[in-house]
Amino acid sequence: MADFSVVGKGVPRVDSLEKVTGKAEFPITFRLPHMLHGKVVRSPHPHARIISIDTSKAERLPGVKVVVTAKNTPRIRLGALYRDRDAFPPDLTVRYVGDAVAAVAAETEDIAEEAAVLVKVKYEELPAVFDTEEAFRTDPPAVVHPELANYECRFERMGIRRRLDPERPNVCDHFKVRQGDVGKGFQEADLIVENRYFTPRIQHCQLEPCASVAWFESDGTLRLVTTGQGAHVTQAEIGEAFNLPPSKVRVECHYLGGAFGGKGRNITEPYAVLLSMKAGGRPVRVCFTRDEHFVCGRSRVPVVTYIKDGVKRDGTIVARELRILVDMGAYADSAIMIVRACAFGPMGIYKTANFKLDSYGVYTNTPMSAPFRGFGNAETLWAVENQMDMIAEKLGLDAVEVRKRNFLKDGERYAFGQIVRSIGIEECLDKAQKWIEWDKKPVQEGSWKRGKGIALGCKGTQTGFPSSALVKVHPDGSVEVRHSSQEIGMGVDTVVAQIAAESFGISMDSVRVVSGDTATCPYGYAPVSSRETFHMGNAVLAACEDAKRELFEVASPKLGVPIELLETRDRKVCVKGQPGKEVRIPLLFRPPGVGYALAKCEIIGKSTFEVPLIPEDPETGQSERQVSSYGYGAQAVEVAVDVETGEVRVLRSVGCFDGGTAINPKMCETQIEGGVGMGIGAALYEELLISEKGETLNPNFRDYKIPTAEDMPNNANVVAMLAPAPHPEGPFGAKGLGEQVMIPYAPAVSNAIYNAVGVRIKELPITPDKILKALKEKKKHFHISQLGKGSS
Amino acid sequence: MKQLIEFRVNGERYEAAVEPNRTLLEVLWEDLGLTGTKMGCNSGECGACTVLLDGMAVCSCLTLAVEAQGKDILSIEGLSSNGKLHPVQQAFIDHHAVQCGYCTPGMIMSAKALLDKNPDPTEDEVRSALQGNLCRCTGYVKIVEAILAAKEKMKV
Repeated sequence: MADFSVVGKGVPRVDSLEKVTGKAEFPITFRLPHMLHGKVVRSPHPHARIISIDTSKAERLPGVKVVVTAKNTPRIRLGALYRDRDAFPPDLTVRYVGDAVAAVAAETEDIAEEAAVLVKVKYEELPAVFDTEEAFRTDPPAVVHPELANYECRFERMGIRRRLDPERPNVCDHFKVRQGDVGKGFQEADLIVENRYFTPRIQHCQLEPCASVAWFESDGTLRLVTTGQGAHVTQAEIGEAFNLPPSKVRVECHYLGGAFGGKGRNITEPYAVLLSMKAGGRPVRVCFTRDEHFVCGRSRVPVVTYIKDGVKRDGTIVARELRILVDMGAYADSAIMIVRACAFGPMGIYKTANFKLDSYGVYTNTPMSAPFRGFGNAETLWAVENQMDMIAEKLGLDAVEVRKRNFLKDGERYAFGQIVRSIGIEECLDKAQKWIEWDKKPVQEGSWKRGKGIALGCKGTQTGFPSSALVKVHPDGSVEVRHSSQEIGMGVDTVVAQIAAESFGISMDSVRVVSGDTATCPYGYAPVSSRETFHMGNAVLAACEDAKRELFEVASPKLGVPIELLETRDRKVCVKGQPGKEVRIPLLFRPPGVGYALAKCEIIGKSTFEVPLIPEDPETGQSERQVSSYGYGAQAVEVAVDVETGEVRVLRSVGCFDGGTAINPKMCETQIEGGVGMGIGAALYEELLISEKGETLNPNFRDYKIPTAEDMPNNANVVAMLAPAPHPEGPFGAKGLGEQVMIPYAPAVSNAIYNAVGVRIKELPITPDKILKALKEKKKHFHISQLGKGSS
Repeated sequence: MKQLIEFRVNGERYEAAVEPNRTLLEVLWEDLGLTGTKMGCNSGECGACTVLLDGMAVCSCLTLAVEAQGKDILSIEGLSSNGKLHPVQQAFIDHHAVQCGYCTPGMIMSAKALLDKNPDPTEDEVRSALQGNLCRCTGYVKIVEAILAAKEKMKV
């Protein structure tokens, strides 16, 4: 990469100072005078009809101002694709333990909690279904949405079709990919490897729970300060739900205390708005308790993956077939996007001439699912990356070698038809295996058995969503960027500042970044899908050029040279190749340094960047462009397994990732390290447990364990590396990084455990009891096979 | 019935009338407007609400406000003095130990409590001191690195 001043450097984040001093504002601490506190009343049953709701006692409690139900409020329709959900169920049917039935607003949180308990609801229980595969059947124990075929499908007008299955009443979507002929491929194969894999429901555990404050201004404008991931998406969807145009809705969220895909789509907002509406526009705050956040704050889709691989003796895959069941929970909301998105992981790394994939969205009477870092790809690549090791072992080949033999290359096509551009996976794998010393078997010490494992990951950023930026040059020569993204912790504000600083040739101190307010920032899609560096980066670059062009139009007559010869540096407009021929930017304003830019009023550049989605063929999934760019990576780990207790410790960990050019290599490192933390949790500890009554059994940090500082290897044993493969369309060649960093972790650990003790657990998390059970089974089979030998 | 309590926060004396069941975190937020301390779980399991009570790191969500009577509380807002950041705060910036920033105040307060008591902890001791502070973004790597760097600066 060419030598840049700011881009490519690990400069400090622009938001660190506010965050280390406690000055950074988060929606959860936002307060207004005369604010009321809201609580949602929730169903204790997984599937039931509401017979009656008696709110009289709650209404009479001193301090209670408002009680709302479906009866005294307009229908508030929600749901990203299907309108399968209202704020309160209009068909008076609750569909999961936690489903919203009513809401109250009171002077204090304590009174609101008391009032919520006083709302008396009578239910008639209905049969419920909790297991994804049972729900998928043609004759499931319960049908979650009998009227599914009649629900409004929001994007039908955009060409996104409803894909129901008339035979399977709980299936809400079906995504297909067909390439070649898998039947023929399996016939040509020397070996078939077929397995079932499972990833459970896990929770994002953002440290900040969901919270919204809603109020109305005198002219009817709705104001929201909220943890909604994507201020403009929230503005559009809440506006649509409450019949308000975007110009009458202002959404603000400066910083989010963690998102990971789980805070989008109207979680607390509808209730805060409804209560405020009923309270005459008075501010109402709805904030989840941690328990509530575990259950109702969305969780990762449980996924069952059936995978069948046909391979040649040399390890090349001749046919790959996947059947994937993606559990939506009770309402599909944004989880429905995962049905399609999860397919891109299995298609992202390896080539297969014959490929067949069917992915289904399935309703169950369990808490609502949502995207979780990886958007379905951690779930499906869990299956693929275990398979690759199994294939290698059965053929007597090296696991690294087998992967390399199947890599896609630049210019080839993914199974869904798009041309590969920028795939750094081979270098990632090489660097990771080198650091972990893949060729050297681990030294066995003590009673714990050691093993090394490697796995790969990728994440395709989805096309069809825009990012926008406005760039203003202030009269003092500093630059302000207002962008459509949101600082959820990934560092977008800093990346934006770096790109603007580089473009204008100024220091980071001379750049101000504004985001997270729909009143001042231009429209763009939510910060999801690892999309912002690529999309926002491009929007900012173009907006900077636009602003500079305006500036040059003012400067050109003053300097007496055409616009093409001008550039900016150090708050000056300079003539290229003529040092000393320049004008300070403040002098282009009247009065100098404070006023307007001569004929131009203000100097404002603007741009929107989008990679248009080319809709896929509904039968084959083929399309020229479904993905803006793919990010890649490899994770290698060394684990130790205690065969007495089944406990697993990760001893050493190296992650090498390709996010294209690293705009800020230090921040990229921190993303990879964060992926290790989440990865260890997903691999070894995390699962939300649902009882046979549909209740979430462990909705708290005591019983749902996420890694602490003591569960990580020491810093010397955690290494983050980059192997950038620049993308021709990315800003400075950058792509996305934020999601693929956790994707390979669980299969890397699984492969390492297999190499240590010879057992493979196909259902996450890999807990001690599963290891012990598998070891016992292995011993039993070994004895039986030994007996067989002895008897002849 | 409300009780009148008197306590010091970040060196300033405060009086507040509080119900006996209100937590210190609630009083910091609602009565004093000090929102730097964060709420993550309200049950003492995540450490986001960590403040120092007479020098000891405590979960302010589990501390009743009345327990603060006559005591000295240090919250994140009180850590920098005369506009100069505490070495731990500066180290968090320099070592990229901040991502979403929500766990950051609690982490920094726990780190301060550790270094006040043990100015030369090993990496294991730092990790042990942080076991009550959850972070979902960083994997703790740069946080531990920052605290170890801060201790070196503070030794000088």
